[in-house]
Amino acid sequence: MRTEDERYFEQLESQLEAAFEVAEEAKERGGDPEPDVEIPTARDMADRVENILGIDGVAERVRELEGEMSREEAALELAEDFAEGRVGDYETKAGKVEGAVRTAVALLTEGVVAAPIEGIDRVEILTNDDGTEFVNVYYAGPIRSAGGTAQALSVLVADYTRALVGIEQYDARQEEIERYAEEIALYDKETGLQYCPKDKEAKFIAKHLPIMLDGEATGDEEVSGFRDLERVDTNSARGGMCLVLGEGIALKAPKIQRYTRNLDEIDWPWLQDLIDGNYAADAEDDEDADNADTEDGNDEGDSDEESETDAEGAAETDEVDPDDETSDEDSDDDEGPPRVGKSEKFLRDLIAGRPVFSHPCAAGGFRLRYGRARNHGFATAGVHPAAMHLVDDFLATGTQIKTERPGKAAGVVPVDSIEGPTVKLANGDVRQVDDPAEAKEIRNGVEAILDLGEYLVNYGEFVENNHPLAPASYTPEWWIQDIEAAGADIQALQDDPRIDLEHPDPDEAIEWALEYNAPLHPMYTYLWHDLTVEAFCALADAVAAGRVERRLDETGGGVDILVLEYTEATREALETIVIEHRQREGSGEDDGRIEIDDWRPLARSLGCEIRRTATDGSSHSPGANVSPDGPDASTPSATIELERTWSDDDLSECARTWGHEDQPDGSNAVEAVNEVAPFDIRERSPTRIGNRMGRPEKSERRDLSPPVHTLFPISEAGGAQRNVADAAKHAETMSDTPGIVEIQIGRQQCPSCGTETFKNRCPDCETRTEPDYRCPDCEQSLDPDDSGRVECGRCEIEGTCVETREVDINDEFRSALESVGERENAFEILKGVKGLTSSNKVPEPIEKGVLRAKHDVSAFKDGTVRYDMTDLPVTSVRANELDIDVGQLQALGYEEDIHGEPLVHEDQLVELNVQDIVLSDGAAEHMMQTADFIDDLLEQYYGLEPFYELEDRQDLVGELVFGMAPHTSAATVGRVIGFTSAAVGYAHPYFHAAKRRNCDGDEDCVMLLMDGLLNFSRSFLPDKRGGRMDAPLVMSSRIDPSEIDDEAHNMDIVSQYPREFYLATLEQADPEDVDIQIGEDTLGTDGEYTGFEHTHDVTDIAMGPDLSAYKTLGSMMDKMNAQLELSRKLAAVDETDVAERVIEYHFLPDLIGNLRAFSRQETRCLDCGEKFRRMPLTGDCRECGGRVNLTVHQGSVNKYMQTAIEVAEEYDCRDYTKQRLEVLEKSLESIFENDKNKQSGIEDFM
Amino acid sequence: MPLEGPARIVSELTSRGYNAEREAVTHIAAADHPAAVLEQVVEEMPDDALVVRTDHVEAVLAAGVRQPTSAQDSASDPEPDPDFDTDSVPDTPGADPSVSTGERSADQHDPTGSVPAETGGSGSAADTDSKPSARVERDTDPSLRSLEIDGDMTGDSTGTGEYDDFVAVFRDRLERLGGKLRGRVNHRPATAIQSMPGGSEAGMVGLVNDIRSTASGHWLIELEDATGTFPWLVMKDREFADMVDQLLCDEVLAMEGTLSDDAGIAFVDSMYFPDVPRTHEPSTADRHVQAALISDVHVGSQEFMADAWDAFADWLYTEQAQHVEYLLIAGDMVEGVGVYPNQDEELDVVDIYEQYEVFNDRLKQVPGDLDIVMIPGNHDAVRLAEPQPGFDDRLRDIMSAHDPQIVSNPSTVTVEGVSILMYHGVSLDEVIAELPEEKASYDEPHKAMYQLLKKRHVAPQFGGHTRLAPEEEDFLVMDEVPDIFHTGHVHKLGFGKYHNVLAINSGCWQAQTDFQKSVNINPDSGFAPIVDLDTLDVTVQKFS
Repeated sequence: MRTEDERYFEQLESQLEAAFEVAEEAKERGGDPEPDVEIPTARDMADRVENILGIDGVAERVRELEGEMSREEAALELAEDFAEGRVGDYETKAGKVEGAVRTAVALLTEGVVAAPIEGIDRVEILTNDDGTEFVNVYYAGPIRSAGGTAQALSVLVADYTRALVGIEQYDARQEEIERYAEEIALYDKETGLQYCPKDKEAKFIAKHLPIMLDGEATGDEEVSGFRDLERVDTNSARGGMCLVLGEGIALKAPKIQRYTRNLDEIDWPWLQDLIDGNYAADAEDDEDADNADTEDGNDEGDSDEESETDAEGAAETDEVDPDDETSDEDSDDDEGPPRVGKSEKFLRDLIAGRPVFSHPCAAGGFRLRYGRARNHGFATAGVHPAAMHLVDDFLATGTQIKTERPGKAAGVVPVDSIEGPTVKLANGDVRQVDDPAEAKEIRNGVEAILDLGEYLVNYGEFVENNHPLAPASYTPEWWIQDIEAAGADIQALQDDPRIDLEHPDPDEAIEWALEYNAPLHPMYTYLWHDLTVEAFCALADAVAAGRVERRLDETGGGVDILVLEYTEATREALETIVIEHRQREGSGEDDGRIEIDDWRPLARSLGCEIRRTATDGSSHSPGANVSPDGPDASTPSATIELERTWSDDDLSECARTWGHEDQPDGSNAVEAVNEVAPFDIRERSPTRIGNRMGRPEKSERRDLSPPVHTLFPISEAGGAQRNVADAAKHAETMSDTPGIVEIQIGRQQCPSCGTETFKNRCPDCETRTEPDYRCPDCEQSLDPDDSGRVECGRCEIEGTCVETREVDINDEFRSALESVGERENAFEILKGVKGLTSSNKVPEPIEKGVLRAKHDVSAFKDGTVRYDMTDLPVTSVRANELDIDVGQLQALGYEEDIHGEPLVHEDQLVELNVQDIVLSDGAAEHMMQTADFIDDLLEQYYGLEPFYELEDRQDLVGELVFGMAPHTSAATVGRVIGFTSAAVGYAHPYFHAAKRRNCDGDEDCVMLLMDGLLNFSRSFLPDKRGGRMDAPLVMSSRIDPSEIDDEAHNMDIVSQYPREFYLATLEQADPEDVDIQIGEDTLGTDGEYTGFEHTHDVTDIAMGPDLSAYKTLGSMMDKMNAQLELSRKLAAVDETDVAERVIEYHFLPDLIGNLRAFSRQETRCLDCGEKFRRMPLTGDCRECGGRVNLTVHQGSVNKYMQTAIEVAEEYDCRDYTKQRLEVLEKSLESIFENDKNKQSGIEDFM
Repeated sequence: MPLEGPARIVSELTSRGYNAEREAVTHIAAADHPAAVLEQVVEEMPDDALVVRTDHVEAVLAAGVRQPTSAQDSASDPEPDPDFDTDSVPDTPGADPSVSTGERSADQHDPTGSVPAETGGSGSAADTDSKPSARVERDTDPSLRSLEIDGDMTGDSTGTGEYDDFVAVFRDRLERLGGKLRGRVNHRPATAIQSMPGGSEAGMVGLVNDIRSTASGHWLIELEDATGTFPWLVMKDREFADMVDQLLCDEVLAMEGTLSDDAGIAFVDSMYFPDVPRTHEPSTADRHVQAALISDVHVGSQEFMADAWDAFADWLYTEQAQHVEYLLIAGDMVEGVGVYPNQDEELDVVDIYEQYEVFNDRLKQVPGDLDIVMIPGNHDAVRLAEPQPGFDDRLRDIMSAHDPQIVSNPSTVTVEGVSILMYHGVSLDEVIAELPEEKASYDEPHKAMYQLLKKRHVAPQFGGHTRLAPEEEDFLVMDEVPDIFHTGHVHKLGFGKYHNVLAINSGCWQAQTDFQKSVNINPDSGFAPIVDLDTLDVTVQKFS
């Protein structure tokens, strides 16, 4: 590690420590459930593993083993330690196995995700039929987040430990084996598995597994056969077990085999058969029950509709499925240009309001350009901000798109150093728009979007997705290397101040191409590959027939423009090759013509010689036409004529029939261009990438619904709003004392004076109280044992401290107000909770709620205040885009810019430190409120000095926060560096990876450091499956790049891709075969925290719209109309297909699903909320006598019916679709209309 | 006998190769000399017309009807039949066209004509593998037929999907099925039982609200009546404990037992289903006449078995089939649209209306003198929720061949005294899934039907697989015990008798689909069960 990095981390850690001290002092004083900060700090993975598991000694052992072996081997080594009692304090064999299994999973998930604690419920010892004992591991749903390898390895570790502690193997009964097979198929149908083993395979695995896999029921659907088994508690599918068996063992068999081979104690010889698929013979005897559980073959209406809604999940996890691409990637014969195959997967499950931007590989769609912008990489896609505006603002920074390749989804980032979209305006101008401001200006006049511009994808994406490189667009960065390879002195050109190598003028471009015999500059390379050879010939004729006019420009100088006759064919051809021009339709003086400004490269590409004719008609020699057409070179009297120098027959057979094998012959004019043009032309944009909008970006405070200010229970007394003030006045009857409410709450006892209370501090003597556990049967007081379990020795049942008691909410509320010195009018409303869901039901002091309400922040279930943002990466930043000044950057330790120059200007780029994050404006404001709340809390509740004292948001810079992702249990410490108007959370990709997120539209939250330290408590966490997920059970104070999600290691970190790379893309080479430095290459070196270079700069990391139109448009109908409207404008989108898909994937499933739900619905009491499977025969609620009503009404069933019919009509959908709607509409009528009242005419009333 | 005239006219027209609009037939029947009008209509039909329309008849009537010269003359000169392969008509003396038509015209004048001599004894000897034998001229006497429909709710769907409609349906169920049980136990309302002292004897009739097993392996069944619910405990060691396996939610039951000491629960001593009385004696036809009971034609599917259907239609013209006078189709005429995702990729005919047109063409193949009754199924273009009304007018107009009776699912059709409950059978899936395999399985679908008969309801369980549309009464109740219970849907053939009621699940006319293949279902395709209505014996004809 470099000293700078060391300094950086020390700075963070000392800041953290200072905050810790304050928090510790506060905690000692307050009435929190614990007198200490409840989030332990972990400096490395070993710490996290130990802290998440809560098993002492693990960290030390992990560190010992870490240098010597892989994590998998370490897990097995630890299993031995557990078995022999060297680690962990377990007396039972089951406990030892459990400890080993949990540790293995924690180790393999780097101690971040919740799988080891939430995904493994328990391990128990059961008895085989022959009386021997075996191990049963009880999995739960959250094991999913561990991933297949860790799941599979957990089984291996369980078996290994079992062997070491001397327990026999599991001998599955026949019905249990059958049950596994049926259950896995059921789970796959219901929820979907990444890989679902076939019946035979599942049975084979089940039969041979040396330990029993069990788990809790995760679904409602029950198996039809093999029910009520003695050793299986449930008839429903056990999700955790299915995952472990399917995605774990079955899918990762080769991986486990690697480890079983080295272990003498255990023997899994059957793995080889499993890998070879050699399990048929073994399973033959179990064949009979296979066809029992099915329904009528074609009447799968129900089941398939269900799987229709599952399709998203299936599509997302469909990794083993070979892409449905018509891939030609392997058939690399010399015929035709290189192309990627189409993939329609991303269009699946298109829903209303989320537009398609480009159909698969469609001309006019986004053009793939390679490179990494500084706010890019790690599952993101760079789009020009002008394009974001022009797609009617549907794309904003952070909007997720589902994409054709290389991955499945990506977060959109604005990149303005790539080409913008080309549009046709209502006045006939065809323009490329490279300026977001211009895009906004002309937006209303856009008639068609002919081309969406470039789409930046970095090399690392292809590595990560193991996708063959797609042919690259021809871009200046490649051209520069081409021309250099051709012998040009590129350094001289670059140094020449008059030359802009990215945007040369046309004559320069032609000159270079001719001089160096290099390909024409990309700026003047048009999209010839989209033009047919036929149209190419016609265009050459049209251009040859055109005339050159001289026109005065604004500066008074004259420019030549090419004027062509307006014909449909010419117009179409020019629109196809995407060249800027002006179309003047009609018959006026200036009409019926098409004007092209920079026409020379076009004319030359079309094989037209440019001849200068004097007024007398004599022409100059052809050699003269290369001379720049400056004002000095010609006299006004000279006219220019174009001559087509070739005839159609001159084209070779190859050029005439050139085209990809999927296209008709002659659909690609590139070869023709190369034959007639005096220079080489590369394919400009051979790869188009289809995509559509996924979910919108997010930057919102996380509120429970309804929002909660204090985790204090008030039962139903606070009304639906859960208003504490109302509860304080609530009285059931006139004779009750207002504010006395019966609630379930944990009983505490004061150890010194014996007072019984529910508070954490004795109201009489201020001593900290202890939970008062009693046996629910015999009332005997109990003490928890070492593992925290409380059991009554006599009654053999679990003790509890929860009791139902009357609490004077009024008194609690008033005294809380008094204790923090606030009046009731300090806030609008103070919301509590109905009841507590934690095991001991420890309430939070109301005081905290009072102050939260005062500052309008709300608590999450764990007591913290959170703000959610979409994750985006950024590796270098400028002070001016972060709304901070250089001084602030310097104060944070930034001294140099990315080139090593001293940092003095606001627009200098500096490389971001790995734990520095950029807050969205909304997040900054929310953090300010939280900071004010924390300051008040410290002052008014804990009696300490305020900690933050923020004046304005600039003061937030440098403050520490927690970043925390769903499904994980570890927070990562981050430091605020600045702010952005984009509704996203920008941070270093390694920071996101440390939280186990990538940036493909994922979102997670930030919390203010002191808030987490003061207000988080494990005691608040729900006592149910998954309750400990999304809670900061541990925090990582520093990021170790080798302990983060390795997806981030695949990000490339160079400033230029070599020419070999571009050439390799044309071969569609494997990305691994190209040498470009990625993050992985620097792991473990001094440079692992630094040197994240980029190939493309961006002006500002927040460009384009701040919010996607999806969020600013109101109703679903508005969104859908905008979506369909946009589809009409986009050349790359087939609006009929969009309409079909919206109907097929959104409206029809909704209609069908709701109609089905209607005719099998539950009912619910409007008064007490009781649910009934079927309408009670009494008509009224059996619980309270209240009114019962349907849960699915006519309105919710047919809300989309008319819209769907209209859309189908307007967008000319297939008859099949229309008829489906027709049949449904009739069904709705039949159910919701009375046949007898339908045709009510006037005679009915006479 | 209002049906007789039209039926005869239709058969006459069909024998000459024409289909007819219903109204046209009515017109002819209403004329003074139907036979003469018919002759003249046929004579004046345009050459390319296949369907006799109202306007044809009106034209003839307007022009004035000639008196018939002789019935024999006109009948002995039949038009060639465009729908049928005339080559296959055998040229045997026994089937001399003029003779048989002559006989028929005689019948026309003598509606009380005697039963043909060759009646009797052919059905039970059927060879299931027999190839269709030579085509004979069918010799049937429409005047002997009778066909009545009961329980058709088409056009009577009055429910509007309100909560009260649902409540009304379940109350009606309890009312009607409970009525069959109240005599058997000393029943009390749930609220009355709740206030009875511990140890009392009590009886109750109600809908099964909930079935649970207790920790100790007993069964707790909650019965609900119009006043409330009461829990009944079936001890696991009672002889009827295994009957609990057969219970479905929302079926009607009667229970009798003893209240526990705290009167919070009752221990069941006996349990009664509405059931079919063991003494049930089915009605039979007075003559030897047969009905073909089929279902699940699935026209429009790529897997529709055209050859099998052709064979079936041809067979109906054979000697062997001459007593088959009724054709009952229990739903899924066509494959439908949008029944499952991406169904269009597996459709032979994608257009739903065209599917019905093709089905109609298929229907034309069968002899015109058959009386046809059809109900819709879950693939048909009607609502999925049950009861399903019969097809709408547009589809009826398409399916006009042989003027079939189109009624709701379920409906009861009484043919010559034999009542046949037709129900498509969606609930069978649920019965098979919920009940133990020996009670109901796809291999023996009729056993699942026995369960429905026992419960006297075609789709008892609410909230599961079967969809319910609330109507003012529960059309799914089996008020009367049918003589035959006919279902389809599961594409498996099976029949048997339950308390003398013949339960038939007909197979299908669709070969194994990819989906069925993937889940290893082997459908029974191309079978037609033929029932002797005078004996209720079944023979199965195989056509594939």
